[in-house]
Amino acid sequence: MIQVDETVKVLTNQSGEPVRFSWRNGSYQVTSRPERWYSRKPWWLEASRAQRGIGAQVLEVEMWRITASKGINSPNQFELVHSQADDGWQLVRIFG
Amino acid sequence: MAIGSNLWLSMSFTHLNVSSAYSFHFGTAKPDQLAQAAASFSQDALAITDDNGLYGAVKHIGACLDQNIAPIVGVRLKVENRGTVTIFSRGHNKGIGWAALCKIVSKAQTRAQGKTKKEIAISEKDLSELVVLDGKPTCTILLGPESDIGQAVIKANATVAARKLLDWKELIPVSECLSVEIVSHLTEPGSSYSTLQAKRMLQLALTAGLKPVLTNAVRYLEPDDALTGDVLDAARHLEPLGIFTPQANAQAWLKPEALMKKLALEITQSQELATKLLKNTEELANALRLDPVSDCDWSRPKTPEKSALGIEGNPFEVLWQKAHSGINWRYPNYSEDKLLPVRHRLHQELITINKLGFATYFLTVADVAQMIRDMRIRTAARGSGAGSLTNYLLGISGVDPIEHDLLFERFLSTERSSLPDIDIDVESARRHDIYRAIFKRYGGNRVTLLSMQSTYRGRGAVRDGGLALGFEEDQIDEIAKSIWRFSARNFRGMLSKKPELEKLAQLVEHDRRLNLLVDITERLDRLPRHISMHPCGVILGNQDLLSLTPVEPSGLGLPMSQFDKDDMDPMGMLKLDILGVRMQSSMAYAIREIERVSGKTIDLDAISRDDKETFRQIRTTNTLGVFQIESPGQRELTGKHQPTEFNDLTIQISLFRPGPMKGNMIAPYLDGRHGFVKPDLIHPDLAPILKSTQGVVIFHEQVLKILNVMTGCSLAKADELRRTLEKDQKFVEKFFRQNATKRGYSKAVVDRIWSVLEGFGSFGFCKAHGAAFALPTYQSAWLKTHYPTEFLAGLFTHDPGMYPKRLLLSEARRLGVKILPLDVNKSKDEYLVEKTADGLAIRMAITDLHGISNSEITRIIKQAPFADLADFYLRACPSRATIKRLALVGALDELAGGSTDHTRGDILERVRQLTALKSKPKLDENQPMLDFEAKEQMPSGFAAISTAGQIQAELDLLGMDITDHQLAKYQPMLDQMGVVRSSELVGLRSKTEVLIAGVRVATQSPPMRSGKRVVFITLDDGSGCSDATFFDEAQSRSSGVLFNTKLLLISGKTRRTGVKGVSIMAENAWDLSQLWQDYRQKNQLVAVENRK
Repeated sequence: MIQVDETVKVLTNQSGEPVRFSWRNGSYQVTSRPERWYSRKPWWLEASRAQRGIGAQVLEVEMWRITASKGINSPNQFELVHSQADDGWQLVRIFG
Repeated sequence: MAIGSNLWLSMSFTHLNVSSAYSFHFGTAKPDQLAQAAASFSQDALAITDDNGLYGAVKHIGACLDQNIAPIVGVRLKVENRGTVTIFSRGHNKGIGWAALCKIVSKAQTRAQGKTKKEIAISEKDLSELVVLDGKPTCTILLGPESDIGQAVIKANATVAARKLLDWKELIPVSECLSVEIVSHLTEPGSSYSTLQAKRMLQLALTAGLKPVLTNAVRYLEPDDALTGDVLDAARHLEPLGIFTPQANAQAWLKPEALMKKLALEITQSQELATKLLKNTEELANALRLDPVSDCDWSRPKTPEKSALGIEGNPFEVLWQKAHSGINWRYPNYSEDKLLPVRHRLHQELITINKLGFATYFLTVADVAQMIRDMRIRTAARGSGAGSLTNYLLGISGVDPIEHDLLFERFLSTERSSLPDIDIDVESARRHDIYRAIFKRYGGNRVTLLSMQSTYRGRGAVRDGGLALGFEEDQIDEIAKSIWRFSARNFRGMLSKKPELEKLAQLVEHDRRLNLLVDITERLDRLPRHISMHPCGVILGNQDLLSLTPVEPSGLGLPMSQFDKDDMDPMGMLKLDILGVRMQSSMAYAIREIERVSGKTIDLDAISRDDKETFRQIRTTNTLGVFQIESPGQRELTGKHQPTEFNDLTIQISLFRPGPMKGNMIAPYLDGRHGFVKPDLIHPDLAPILKSTQGVVIFHEQVLKILNVMTGCSLAKADELRRTLEKDQKFVEKFFRQNATKRGYSKAVVDRIWSVLEGFGSFGFCKAHGAAFALPTYQSAWLKTHYPTEFLAGLFTHDPGMYPKRLLLSEARRLGVKILPLDVNKSKDEYLVEKTADGLAIRMAITDLHGISNSEITRIIKQAPFADLADFYLRACPSRATIKRLALVGALDELAGGSTDHTRGDILERVRQLTALKSKPKLDENQPMLDFEAKEQMPSGFAAISTAGQIQAELDLLGMDITDHQLAKYQPMLDQMGVVRSSELVGLRSKTEVLIAGVRVATQSPPMRSGKRVVFITLDDGSGCSDATFFDEAQSRSSGVLFNTKLLLISGKTRRTGVKGVSIMAENAWDLSQLWQDYRQKNQLVAVENRK
């Protein structure tokens, strides 16, 4: 597994699932149904406020585990983080 | 079928796995919030499934009834070797499901009892036996992500999981009793609560032919509450966040139906399977819906059976006879004429009791009261029960309701059907004996203790919040101490308002963690933290009690219900409040000491209630140690009020409460009483009702009578109106105006009275309660007046008051009651009265010595008397620290032949010799043996201890300054400053500028009419107590010392508050010990200067 932390451009379908993303001049096509899951953050180390009603975004992170391939290369598993606040995407992990 | 199809859209969803805030340190939502949310999603049923108990179940059922949805109740419980599962009572089966669930919980809890330290869990055998009764399913078990199969699908392979499921099917062969719970919190694929786990569980269930159901394993209402969940997790783990594995994300919330359907699709990846999953869930939910009435015997009053009470025949006839036979006892030598109103009233009360079917209830309480008296334990009733003649005649209460004009209708009426509360005060030291006797008398199947939910308040919330964020304990202590009488819910708002938080407010601005702490403290506020034994409640039921409430072991060893006092009424359970009152123990002790020392027997309940000397003593305001009227505020009120009879005490106790104070009722009453103004009795019809309280409406009973006279409604109806007044004023106003006008009262009178009633709301007090309290007030004042030594000995032994013991010492000095020092030959574990040449004195008890162990105390008392120090050391076997402390406070002086023969220094040296010996038990044979018996061994010539040193030792080791008042050492400085002694204050003019000094003995911050905070500080300077009042400005000037500094100097102006009352309007305050240091430094400088 390789840890990465780079912004990527992602194309999504109507239900918000990634279908394609580009990273380091390569374009990756999603080849099977992506799996969305939720991870968490150690807000006690990062946040400056935690008042009632601040919402789960202080704690929660939306993650996507996808299988994708570049051109005719064999597919790899990637993990993306989706930030709901600015609709930005981050590539965080590549599985071997 | 497509996603948009009608069937799919019309399918409902019921949340079956919901942990409420009563899953301590786990859930964050109260049952009413959850039920409300479910109802707002148009769900028509909701479950509660708390950890290890039914702590929130009754509240849940009540909340569901309010929302008109069906309640479902289960428990999340460990099954031995099989992980955690959820077990539900099935419904509509005449309670066999509910009973089985209660027993499962009780069994699991009881298993954890004692020293075995076993975790709370149910054995497979017990579970399999209880979920089926005569072939019928009583309960259904849900195997979810935390069960052994849930773990196996993740950690092991499919075969292992399938085999474990097969084991379950063999253990629980009835198919309705077992289901598989499918949950996805959308966690990392492959982990617990992931969609992958859900998929595998689903497959497993289908293959095994078990019905899978969908839940969301809910632990909070909304995603936002997940942060609160993190903090609760830290409190549960007792570790800061970041140390333990936290919850995976924020998905465990009460999701609406649409989201749950989406989840079903995501897990099943098939419309057909998703539909089936939802259908199963609804089918199971339907089978679990409880009918509160037929399943839980909801709200139907339950009392012990006749046989358990030892009565035969019709309970009402028995009650009739018992009450009538009490007439001769309570009203001896009354003529038939005078008894007529007694009989009339009794008949009316009995008719009501019979109509309500409560005869057995009264017989039960009477039986308990009789049992307590037979144990020779002092009792007194409290609360509205004192308004019942029946209670008086049965010996449940000790106040005559006819003499004191108390109303039965305030206590009980046909307008209400819930069991009334009868509260009994007993000697605190004997309370547990009474509990055990009740268990013995009625049997363990009919009795349980009541539990109590503790909730997070300011300090607890800061502490656990601080723990979660990893603060140092000292730092949290500091912050916790500054939280004083405000709700943690508004912590942030208070930062800018309270002067004592100013420092913290500045820190918060720059410290991120402190800033977070403020937020999470607010989040924790009011959440339930844990369950504990209620300080006074016992539940008495019939032999089915343990089928209606789950129980768990209490600290006392007796079983305790998981329900709290608010659950009693809905469950129709009879709760007896047997409250341990230290004052009752103190008085019982005083009476025993009087009898022991002088041979006199006193029946405190039979003494005359108009003793002039007692009231004269009360009027001096030296009421320290007297029940209910010893607080600074009550002393001030006593000075103004100057009570002369028993009824005055009832009024004073009722007046000194937040309501009347806020409602400004005290001043008009006092003005009328002292003849400054003519009381306004409003209308001749009301004069008899209002005369005794100078036209001020103080009591509930007066409201009842006013409504009765002016509207013509019955007293019972009037009490209902009084209760409604708190909720629906409009309704009562309409009723009152219509009927009073109809009866010919002018608009002016109706308006006046309505404005009184309108304002009355929360102000009033039940006179019966006031009168019941006035009795021990009078009795303790009587004892203090006539037997001060014995009474103080009782106070020292049982410590009933609000003040530290050292203030009692000051009071003893003031009264001229001699206190004898600790003496290992004479002191016991109680403060005994001793006859001396100068009369009676009190011998200090050994128990107050700092650090002494119970076994040391027992040995000293058992082995005494001792011949000398060595003898004491050998036979009492005190620890080194204890013998040294005993020497320091003078408890060994007599063993050295009295203080004239040897100094404290000699004694300490001898102790040193002895304790050194002990560490070398085998002495060299060549060395001469130390003769243990000989007094000649006493060293001599060592320095005596200074008075100041002695007082310091006493304060450190006993918490009391026995030799002299601790302020004595500051006297030179105080004299130089012109500090006034508290006993001199009464001779000063109003508005004199003064300085007072002393030891803080009380700090109070009662609610005020204006809503502003006022702080009262009481100081003791050895000559008595003085009270200082701090308003806003004075509070901010003295914010550094306002709450925590022990020795204070206060500047201010005197304010006369009555004939005998003076208090100080404070301007500023300082730390006396700090001033002392400065003073000494300066004096040393001066001394050095002078020498030059």
